[in-house]
Amino acid sequence: MFRRFLFLLLIPIVIPAAAQNTYKADDIPSALKNRSNAVIRDMETVVDMRAPDNVSIKVRQAVTVLNKNGDSRAELVLFYNKNNSIKSIKGIIYDTQGKPISKFNQSNFTDESAISDFSLFEDDRVKHFKPAVTEYPYTIVYEYELKNKQNLIIPDWYASPSPDVSVEKNSYRFLCLPGDKLHIKTYNYPGETKETKEEKLLSYSWEMTNIPSFQTEPYAPSPENYLTRVKIAPEKFSYYAFSGNYNNWNDLGKWIYTDLLSKRQNLTPETVQMVKSLVDGVNDPKEKAKKIYAYMQEKTRYVSVQIGIGGFQPISATEVDRMGYGDCKGLVNYMQSLLKAADIYSEYCIVYAGNQKRGLDPDFASMNQANHIILCVPFERDTTWLECTSQTVPFGFLGDFTDDRTVLACTERGGKLLHTPVLPATENKTIRMASLNIDNEGNIKGNMLTRFEGAEYDNCEGLISDSPEERVKSLKSKYDLDNIEFEKITFNQIKTSKPATTECLDLSIKSYVPQTQSRAYLVLNAFNKVKNINEVTNRIRPVVINRGFTELDTIQYTLPENFKIESEMENIQIKNDFGSFVVKTTLTGKLLTYIRYFLLKEGNYPPERYKDLVDFISRVRRYDQSKAIFRLN
Amino acid sequence: MKTPFLVLLIYTVFGLPAAFAQDFDFGKPNGDDLNLKKTAIDSNANAVVIREFGTASIQIDDNDGHSYVDYKYHVKIKILNKLGFNQSNIEIPLWVYNNDKEDEMTDLTAATFNFINGQFVRTDLDKKQVFTDNRSKYLKIKKFTLPNIKEGSIIEFTYRINRRNIFNFVTWEYQSAIPKLYSEFIGFIPAIYNFNASIRGYLKLSSQKGDISKDCLRIQGQNIDCSKMTYIMKDIPPFIEESYMTAASNFKSAIYFELSDVQHLNGYKNNITKTWKDVDYELTGDKSFGGQMKRKDVFKDLLPVVLKNSNDDLNKAKAIYAYIKKSIVWNGYRGKYSENSIKKALDTHSGNIGDINLALVAALSAANLDAEAVMLSTRENGIVNNLYPVISDFDYVVAKVNIAGQSYLLDASDPLLPFGLLPMRCINDRGRVVNLKKESYWYDLKASQKDISRYTFDGALAEDGKIKGKLITYSNGYSALNKRNKILKASSIDQYVEKLDEQMPEISILKHKISNLDSLDLPLIEDYDIEMKVFDRMNAQQFYFNPFFIDHTTKNPFNLSERNYPVDLAAANEKRVNILLRLPSGYTLNDQPKDMNIALPDGGGKYLSQISFMNDTINFSQVFQLNKAIYTPEEYLSLKEFFSRIIQQQKTDLILKKAK
Repeated sequence: MFRRFLFLLLIPIVIPAAAQNTYKADDIPSALKNRSNAVIRDMETVVDMRAPDNVSIKVRQAVTVLNKNGDSRAELVLFYNKNNSIKSIKGIIYDTQGKPISKFNQSNFTDESAISDFSLFEDDRVKHFKPAVTEYPYTIVYEYELKNKQNLIIPDWYASPSPDVSVEKNSYRFLCLPGDKLHIKTYNYPGETKETKEEKLLSYSWEMTNIPSFQTEPYAPSPENYLTRVKIAPEKFSYYAFSGNYNNWNDLGKWIYTDLLSKRQNLTPETVQMVKSLVDGVNDPKEKAKKIYAYMQEKTRYVSVQIGIGGFQPISATEVDRMGYGDCKGLVNYMQSLLKAADIYSEYCIVYAGNQKRGLDPDFASMNQANHIILCVPFERDTTWLECTSQTVPFGFLGDFTDDRTVLACTERGGKLLHTPVLPATENKTIRMASLNIDNEGNIKGNMLTRFEGAEYDNCEGLISDSPEERVKSLKSKYDLDNIEFEKITFNQIKTSKPATTECLDLSIKSYVPQTQSRAYLVLNAFNKVKNINEVTNRIRPVVINRGFTELDTIQYTLPENFKIESEMENIQIKNDFGSFVVKTTLTGKLLTYIRYFLLKEGNYPPERYKDLVDFISRVRRYDQSKAIFRLN
Repeated sequence: MKTPFLVLLIYTVFGLPAAFAQDFDFGKPNGDDLNLKKTAIDSNANAVVIREFGTASIQIDDNDGHSYVDYKYHVKIKILNKLGFNQSNIEIPLWVYNNDKEDEMTDLTAATFNFINGQFVRTDLDKKQVFTDNRSKYLKIKKFTLPNIKEGSIIEFTYRINRRNIFNFVTWEYQSAIPKLYSEFIGFIPAIYNFNASIRGYLKLSSQKGDISKDCLRIQGQNIDCSKMTYIMKDIPPFIEESYMTAASNFKSAIYFELSDVQHLNGYKNNITKTWKDVDYELTGDKSFGGQMKRKDVFKDLLPVVLKNSNDDLNKAKAIYAYIKKSIVWNGYRGKYSENSIKKALDTHSGNIGDINLALVAALSAANLDAEAVMLSTRENGIVNNLYPVISDFDYVVAKVNIAGQSYLLDASDPLLPFGLLPMRCINDRGRVVNLKKESYWYDLKASQKDISRYTFDGALAEDGKIKGKLITYSNGYSALNKRNKILKASSIDQYVEKLDEQMPEISILKHKISNLDSLDLPLIEDYDIEMKVFDRMNAQQFYFNPFFIDHTTKNPFNLSERNYPVDLAAANEKRVNILLRLPSGYTLNDQPKDMNIALPDGGGKYLSQISFMNDTINFSQVFQLNKAIYTPEEYLSLKEFFSRIIQQQKTDLILKKAK
């Protein structure tokens, strides 16, 4: 994976300034206290770009913490590395009345390495300060200065940086020399950018006041879509030993290709020869690429090391070839080099990866919008996408980690925006077929086949890689039924670009159908009950169903002789904007067939529809508990 | 349930000087290694340790005269499949000590061997690819990953560590996440040092022997003999964690050492760990332990204010407990010693566990109460050695106050704990009570309160298919603690109830009242008026109603077929439900869940449920009890069956029929 960007959120600074700023808790307007754990009283961020390799970031912030849950908002966490250093930190803590209690400085901070859990090594470090105050509310005022030897990444400014925190005043000022060209984009900012010329500097500024706190909601757009923020990208940049210019994605992609990639793609003559013999006799370029991909998967594994420019620049293809490992950049660059050796053209693409879809902003080019790299291979008739960090993913399949989003392809001719394939609800399928025999005691025995496709394809990867003991444990928590046992567990995978995994289970469930003196109770939907979703009082955000799915369960129960159906056969049919839900139960002789179909579509809806979604899911949930009741003869 | 501790005797056998520790050759993978595909110990392992060898000896640094442990490690691992690739990512911790000394790693050699075209091809680790993660002030981690890993790769590495702390010598872990075919550790301990060695876990050593190694150390021109101890274990299964278990270190097979005494050449003997008497003397004299317990002076001016409304001893103790909870915020660090002194902790409102609870002991003593300190080991930290004092086993301290023949254990680090209840992390076997005047003694660490929840519901099912009624819940012990924590997290009672309501789309909370939120010594009482949608309509001739709508058990927490380690629930647990539900008139009962009365063996627990239907009213009661905090592995299947029976019963319904 790509290196984490430092200072994704600017954590504000406070200047224990003039006497009039006493920050008494009582002075906070009550609207800002409503549903807030802390209030940013005054925050000021000043980014001063004296030269591309000399950027100072000064932050001062006063935060009043209203209760214990707001404590974390008073913590200060600063990442740094060789290119971005901490020049100074100091602060004061005030009590409710605004009387100073204690002071702190850099020596009160802990200092630790900040290596992401997916990495073997990174050179980032973190300083952390956690105030200890026992009486609420209290106010912490701090200021710090960061010195960046680069301007490729200017941290985004957020007017309202965290949930449950309201803002009395927050301002941002960007200073640069009059000749400097900048790209600036504001998101959800109600006013205009203020531009002033100071003595020898140009100043751009933004300010917001009295912002109530925001709460996160389920099935909501990602916060980037609704929070007020400002992005800045200077045209002329410097980063470690590199410098350059960019005005758009085309320029940026070109720089990445020319300066960061092109010199890292050489392979040894032996490897080139090996590739050529590997694809010898194969004519179809796609078949060739498939062979090379299989070779790459066999040869390499994912190991992440991020040092300095290594956050953006891959290790060379020869290094990957020699060591057999690399991070996403290194492995994609290696795969691209191998393809080149077979005269197959491909494109190195930067992407924001994650289950929640987030694309690059087409109108604003900058280096801090992505966290992963994938490879695009444009064949004559179709375009194939390759994820290069997994040894098991099928050729041409991205899955829900990078589906349906805008990415940047970095090529010799410049960068261009592409869109990764969509996984529609109709293709994200879970199809289950079970045939179960119920005996006189209510014990169940039978088999079950479940086929997972589309975004569901990799649902079983964990299970497949587990040891048998762990596999049983995981299956028992997946199908969490009392007394369930698995006699046989196998998995079949079809590894095409439309892949499928089939889970085959022979299973038994002792006493699944309990009996009273006169009756037996069978919960029809044994394996696939929908999860509850929470109601939201006063829903504010639109409803977003990020990715849809289709489920089709068919369970055939063979009943014992003495069971005689008493309850009605339930048949349900619900259809609405969100999707549909159908249950059909039939009894033919001793064969009871339960069919459940559930479609949830991806989509966007206004906030007021949220309660309809909750209602829909609740109804499904209720029907998922349905029982068939039998009279015992 | 006690973890087996075995004392390993450190033999002093006189005989021929033993041959030097026999490591295996580096870089010589053989045919057996190549053919190894599966192991009998664990046929599904993704990787296996073929051989592991470690040796350690105590040496003296010529420059500064300090002793250190010279530790050498060598291992050969076979990667059996792709899922074993992560076994080639290696991390080696190195400690940094307060005296500016730190562990040093040298002589690292690492290589991967792949069998290609009939021969092993060796790829060495590039030394530039060895990283040092300066994790914190105290810890550095050497990290590297081996090159060219494939299915079937054999990886091998060896290194040496100069460990600047001889106190725990070396902890040799036999069990890890992957199986091991052969693991051997040889320790050389000069005759002037005595170590206590103990082995933990259920596995047996395959062989153990002691020899004399002549002249293995030279101090001040004098040659000293060593005991050479060899511990070998073969065919070691991987260690697999289970749910509801305390620290893995309690059960994982390993050898631990702790320095007991040093016999100096001038005849003076330095007892490091010997008897509890010695330990008591040291602890009570220690500036950061006994020294803090004695600091009554800190509270001289504070006490009159804190105690102004307390007349008897119990109320005094409660007032002091509340005061310390309010005055010092826990900084998240455990420890039995005071980090900064209790004075500083009070001034800065911040401290570790030692600061907080030793301050509590001192404050209680200052009020002339009988207060003691109890050292303990938290659940994550493992169980303490009960054969002889191992001070480094303890990672926590709490206060014990004795009032009118009754003892209360107190931990002031969690503001929501009631008086006398320890947090769950402290409920771990037993602790050692340290008293300034008496000899120390063991004391069982048990939850002083049963974890109790009581629900009563009184309501009616109306013709519209909705149940309306009043639900009152009483919570005690850890249940109350958990709920108080949740309410605190929600910022206010209203927001807590709102969240609760949002989590249950089918239930609406119409009115709420929560009492005793701040009266921690009383049960937390939640009083809700609720409305619950049960049926779309009520016009059916017959309907099915499940009476287990409160505290419904649908999942079995004990769903596996076997258990190796004890099930540790920390506290006994009880739940009671009483429901009175009026129905529209004119229904008769056709069927109902069987009344149940089942129990676990030896009073381990019981489940009772009873339903009656009279005067259009369902009267339902249910009692669930787990009376023990810890169940043995042998009791696991009874627990499983116990839950299974409850689940089966709770699936059945009341069937009500409209009278004609």
